[in-house]
Amino acid sequence: MATLENLKYTKSHEWVLEHADGTVTVGLTDYAQQELGDLVFVNLPAAGDDVTAGEPFGDVESVKAVSDVFCPVSGTVAEVNEELLDAPQLINETPYDAWLIKVENVSGSEELLSAAEYEAFIAQGE
Amino acid sequence: MIDQTYYYIQEGYDPFQNLATEQHLMETVPENSCILYLWQNRHTVVIGKNQNCWKECRLQQLADDGGLMARRLSGGGAVYHDLGNLNFTFLIHKADYHVSRQLDVILKALELLGISAEKSGRNDLLADGRKFSGNAFYENGNRCYHHGTLMVQVDREQLGKYLQVSASKLKSKGVASVQARVVNLTELKPELTIEQLKQALIDAMELVYEHKARPWPQENLDIQQVEAYRQHYASDAFRLGRRIPFSWEMTHRFAWGEIQLQCEANEGKLKQVQIYSDAMDAGLIEQMALQLQGCAFGSKAMAERLMQMEHRQEITDLCEYLLELNM
Repeated sequence: MATLENLKYTKSHEWVLEHADGTVTVGLTDYAQQELGDLVFVNLPAAGDDVTAGEPFGDVESVKAVSDVFCPVSGTVAEVNEELLDAPQLINETPYDAWLIKVENVSGSEELLSAAEYEAFIAQGE
Repeated sequence: MIDQTYYYIQEGYDPFQNLATEQHLMETVPENSCILYLWQNRHTVVIGKNQNCWKECRLQQLADDGGLMARRLSGGGAVYHDLGNLNFTFLIHKADYHVSRQLDVILKALELLGISAEKSGRNDLLADGRKFSGNAFYENGNRCYHHGTLMVQVDREQLGKYLQVSASKLKSKGVASVQARVVNLTELKPELTIEQLKQALIDAMELVYEHKARPWPQENLDIQQVEAYRQHYASDAFRLGRRIPFSWEMTHRFAWGEIQLQCEANEGKLKQVQIYSDAMDAGLIEQMALQLQGCAFGSKAMAERLMQMEHRQEITDLCEYLLELNM
């Protein structure tokens, strides 16, 4: 399982990239995509939708199940990765490039872990 | 580890009430517990969360026959339910959620009834080499469910009537159904009843989890919460309005000439409409396209929109044709 040092992580297996302008990019971790299996559909909100930290903002369907995806931060959706509609497998192939949404007006967040903390959290669960 | 097992047998046959109850049970099942929920839908097509209902189901035909279409939270394909079908759901926290163990309960129940069946592929159950149970899965954080159908004596003619959509003029994102050879359990054991199967499932759950199963207390259900969910499942917004882009086109030659419609739709509504015809003036064509903009997808809604325009033979003919398509 891979992690990147420059990202933060949630216990529900999303990654967060914090930008200098205060916006954040959200995706699913390598661990999440391995657990989910081959993805067949990604259901995302629209730009302008409000999202709440700790609440689902979309779902991903794999050959195993539909799983809700939780938002690490509260704010407004600035952009969604439309490419995933046609190519959900990008999340399996390159989880740290295949971002789901970008959030602006960020007003709060879930507990965020460093790469080392997230790895320890995964190790603990297994 | 599961140390409490419960069963909850639903009384009514309304798919929206049933799905609402299922969601509520998932949200209220305690840790270290399993609830086995048994339920039946009357005359209903149930589609997967990320499916295009017009692509998977003959919606208008189903509605004309008094049937219902429901969308579930789990993934996978479209299934037809009638009272010859029994649905089961295992509601369990993630730590104790094991698909193979849950499938063992189903196989054990059939064994108790003298029917031999086997697991096949990822999550199918086969008897006599044919599928009698379709299974699907949903995870919301630490709460999960695994549900499935059990075909006891489903009207297979109806199944084909609503699920096999022929017009391939509709192209959609989302998850497509996979057809399978199916079998009713009564073909293998003619005297089998739904009641016997329910009892066998409860007995099997006790054997597999090694705990006495108790009824889930009715008073644990928050009736208002279930009602709120029921309204959500029954709403057009959830059933039809999911964000699943699709396109649809038709070409038809009428007595007065040919017309071609090309539509881009999303959230169940026409977002972009283009009409081509060599037999109508450009002004009228443009007006028709504008009239259809934003219209709900479907024969009736589209014909109704067009009928609001001035009365012209071309429009009347097109409306009649749309209604014949019965989408």
